[in-house]
Amino acid sequence: MFRGIVFAFLGGACITLQGVANSRISHDIGTWQAATVTQLTGFIMALMIYLFVRDGDLGGFRKVKPLYLAGGAFGSVIIFSEVTAIQTIGVTFTISALLIAQLLVTFLIDRFGWFGTTKSKMGAPQFIGLAMMIGGVLIMKL
Amino acid sequence: MLIGLLLAAFAGMMVALQTIFNNRTDVHMGSWATTTWVLFMGFVASLACSLIFEGSRTFNLQQMQPWYWFSGLIGVGVVICLVLGIKILGPTFSVSVTLTAQLGFALLFDSLGWLGLEKVAFDWKQLAGVVVIVAGIYVFKFGGKKKSAEAVQSASAAN
Repeated sequence: MFRGIVFAFLGGACITLQGVANSRISHDIGTWQAATVTQLTGFIMALMIYLFVRDGDLGGFRKVKPLYLAGGAFGSVIIFSEVTAIQTIGVTFTISALLIAQLLVTFLIDRFGWFGTTKSKMGAPQFIGLAMMIGGVLIMKL
Repeated sequence: MLIGLLLAAFAGMMVALQTIFNNRTDVHMGSWATTTWVLFMGFVASLACSLIFEGSRTFNLQQMQPWYWFSGLIGVGVVICLVLGIKILGPTFSVSVTLTAQLGFALLFDSLGWLGLEKVAFDWKQLAGVVVIVAGIYVFKFGGKKKSAEAVQSASAAN
């Protein structure tokens, strides 16, 4: 249980650290270049881990819809937008707005069962939660 | 201010889509093959954008400091932590803790001005805002949602 919390917490810390590091690297070599370099080294590392653990099948891509396979390409615009946002409004505002949009879009996709997700009913708690999150950003802006 | 918020929201929207697409891929390929594929696609797309928008400056990397080459490893660490966190705690609790840490560290990075960030003076309003957002996340996540929907939201590979 405690170990799980540590992993989940470190994962979150690393997500933010990644945005900040990308922003730093972009400052020196350009944003698209930073996105290229960090994803190249990440790719090489992930490939080595995959070749070591062999937990799945790279050849399985033939069974995946091309649209879903293309999702990885979003990484480029995600990094570009996040870095530009961090450089304009700082890390806290960027992560806050990013998370709200992320949860809102996930909420809509689940609500309507888009992309083959299981349609699920969303109740008052989800609306209240989103409203609180937006309220939090407004408090920061006061 | 507005353009920054819009860009951040756009990034969040794309992360949500990517997470779902990655899950669809994960089913057939397993999590490391998926991560490898996703990062490869991200690399190719970024290189293409760099060539289009920056031209030959793409390969102008004199300013590279050695540690920049290793920053991509942070993303791999993220995948390991998220996969293990979800395995031990289940998606609802694990994702909530992850989102809390993301926001907490954002505030910390701003206040300390690490890694050449413009230092933003610590401000109680910012902390109060983050606390309200985190409370909102817990209401959202634990407020009687069906399990099936949450599985989709977990296990983000590229983030």
